[in-house]
Amino acid sequence: MKYEVIIGLEIHIETKTNTKMFSSASSLFDAPANSNVSVVDMAFPGTLPTVNKKAVQNAIMLGHALNMEIDDELHFDRKNYFYSDLPKGYQITQQRRPIGSNGYLDIYVNDTKKRIRIERIHMEEDTAKQIHLGEVTLIDYNRAGNPLVELVTEPDLRSADEAMAFVEAVREIVTFLEISDGKMEEGSLRCDVNISLRPVGVSKFGNKVEIKNMNSISNIGKAIETEIKRQVNYLIKGLKLKVRHGGMTMPLKIQLQCVKKMKALIIDIFLKEIFYQFL
Amino acid sequence: MRYLGLTMTELHELYVSGKATPLDVVNEVIEALTKDKNNILEKTMYDEARSMAQSLTKVEKDNLLWGIPFLVKDNIAMKGIETTGSSNILNGFIPLCNAEVIDKLLAAKAIPVAKTTLDEFGMGGRGETGHKGITYNPYGKERTRIVGGSSSGSASGVASGYVPFAVGSDTGDSIRKPASFAGLVGFKPTWGEISRFGLFAFMPTLDHVGFFTRSVSEARVLFEKTRGYDKKDATSVMNVPFKTEKDATLKGKKVAVLEPIFALMKNKLLIKEFHNLVDKLRQAGAVVDFVPFDKDLLAAIFPTYFILSCAEANVSNACLTGIGFGNKEEGASYEEIVANTRGKGFSSRIKYRLMLGQYALKKENRNEYYDRAQKARRLIVEAVDKVLENYDVIMLPAAPNHAPTVDKQSEPHSEIENNFMAIANFGGNPSLTLPYFLDEGLPLGVNLTGKPFDDFNVLNIALKIEEITGLYNLHAGLKS
Repeated sequence: MKYEVIIGLEIHIETKTNTKMFSSASSLFDAPANSNVSVVDMAFPGTLPTVNKKAVQNAIMLGHALNMEIDDELHFDRKNYFYSDLPKGYQITQQRRPIGSNGYLDIYVNDTKKRIRIERIHMEEDTAKQIHLGEVTLIDYNRAGNPLVELVTEPDLRSADEAMAFVEAVREIVTFLEISDGKMEEGSLRCDVNISLRPVGVSKFGNKVEIKNMNSISNIGKAIETEIKRQVNYLIKGLKLKVRHGGMTMPLKIQLQCVKKMKALIIDIFLKEIFYQFL
Repeated sequence: MRYLGLTMTELHELYVSGKATPLDVVNEVIEALTKDKNNILEKTMYDEARSMAQSLTKVEKDNLLWGIPFLVKDNIAMKGIETTGSSNILNGFIPLCNAEVIDKLLAAKAIPVAKTTLDEFGMGGRGETGHKGITYNPYGKERTRIVGGSSSGSASGVASGYVPFAVGSDTGDSIRKPASFAGLVGFKPTWGEISRFGLFAFMPTLDHVGFFTRSVSEARVLFEKTRGYDKKDATSVMNVPFKTEKDATLKGKKVAVLEPIFALMKNKLLIKEFHNLVDKLRQAGAVVDFVPFDKDLLAAIFPTYFILSCAEANVSNACLTGIGFGNKEEGASYEEIVANTRGKGFSSRIKYRLMLGQYALKKENRNEYYDRAQKARRLIVEAVDKVLENYDVIMLPAAPNHAPTVDKQSEPHSEIENNFMAIANFGGNPSLTLPYFLDEGLPLGVNLTGKPFDDFNVLNIALKIEEITGLYNLHAGLKS
């Protein structure tokens, strides 16, 4: 049986600003640990977020470059989950009304033009950086609150080559617009790949696997090729592929099984509280 | 007891004439606070207050706030001063900066003397749920009556006559309800007029900073000194015209009484006194109409408030994990640290509210609860706006009775007559409570709610009502 590969990308772009998305602290996170942190980034009670104008301009420029509809109002939502790299206990993001929607980008693979639809771009803030040293976890809040634009494509990509060409095209755009340095190896452009297979001719999507935090364009290609082979193997054997979220280490050896989605933890933590209270 | 129980204006006159210094006054205030029996105090700052008072030597004749001691609700951040929100989870938490309202008051040379108790993080209406227990009303038999909440310590302190004013916060009626029980003027200006930077967020779109005073004109002075755009609070308002009327009169003012709410009042004396006030307003040239209002919308006020406030409180308080700051509990993993910190730090009442909020925000429930509550909020605001199209203010009794006793079972939360003042939070309207009669020595307040950014009109009408009632500078507990 022949299979068709369905790929969608989520690209996080760190945009260039002097200060953070919602505070006046410097957005340089390469500084000595915890030196660029304000009370807002630490979520001290009583502090309030104020939006960074430059970050909004950056997002609007990207939106125009990607042929998107730009929202005429600015809306933010608070995405609530507990994790140690998220000092506020919520991430300020644009769940309901992204700044840009319904865009597209034309890419060229082997001199053939293909139009990739873009579902949305939205602004959000980065999390703190964690350094795990055995039993101890150190948190560097320099990165917490840095401006990000997340770009989400429609599942229009059909091969590793197309995915690589798309990321390259986005990188060219953001560097040309000077809204990001686009350096994947330094994490200023990070890519998650959603990938699923379906028999040719079938319209229903198969179960998808998410590969997170790819740090170079060639690694995106390699990861996709590997994942396609793995999924084909599964499907040939008639096994059902579980929806899962994988992480990837740099030399592309192991794909980690399902990093726990922390969102699910909110409820657990609350239940525990109640449990402790009445124990 | 030479300086206690005086208003700002009276103290100011003493300062100007050289008959008293801020230090004399502050010393007397501190002495009175140390003897307080109503459980109003969180962290005190007596040394800081004395040294600030000492440094004030050159009286500013046109600054009524110069050298005036005041109290601050403990959910408002002060640099270097422990601020807990009356919750154990923030025991020992020391903010790194001042709330904007505090900065403005300090710039005007007013002297903060102590932080005051509240219902834990402002979630409560009776002043009974803070980590220090019940805060009492100085009126009535000693330690028998609640003063209301959540700004309970601030209300009780001003009503005791210790200080001429206190800073509070108002998310549902947390200034205006205790003001009624404590015989004070409680004013919450239009949302956005006073920066909320430094106010611990409860429900950000309903939260307001406001004041307790013992006269309307002093509420106005505080409003004028603290209003204005603050770049640290994106919701504070820029360039709002400074609308102020001199020689205000009641002539031609239009006052609406929402008939279905007034009809719920059962206290006969209250009904009589309210009608009495209405008559006097009419005699002074005001138009007072009893107007209809959609009863379904009235019934929706409390559930709307409760769902929205719990949902947003759940998110607003998500930063309290013990990881970055606060009263951290130990645990083997970050999940355990968070669970232990929150499990032990919050009272069960707060957990109940946060759980409800979490439930209302769950993906599968959000449409049914949170989104519908937001829609109900909009409908209520539209209905109130419609009334205010034709009237200057909506006037109603701020509470159906005087301050209840502590042992009395708390009334069901959902009673309309106990909760309707949240309409001014839904729409961000300016809203003020002031005393209008005493029932066996216990004060009751009347509430005025006006159009957004029409604060001075509300203050002017309140000033005229104060002239009619003659209830100016009420305080209890300084009878010696």
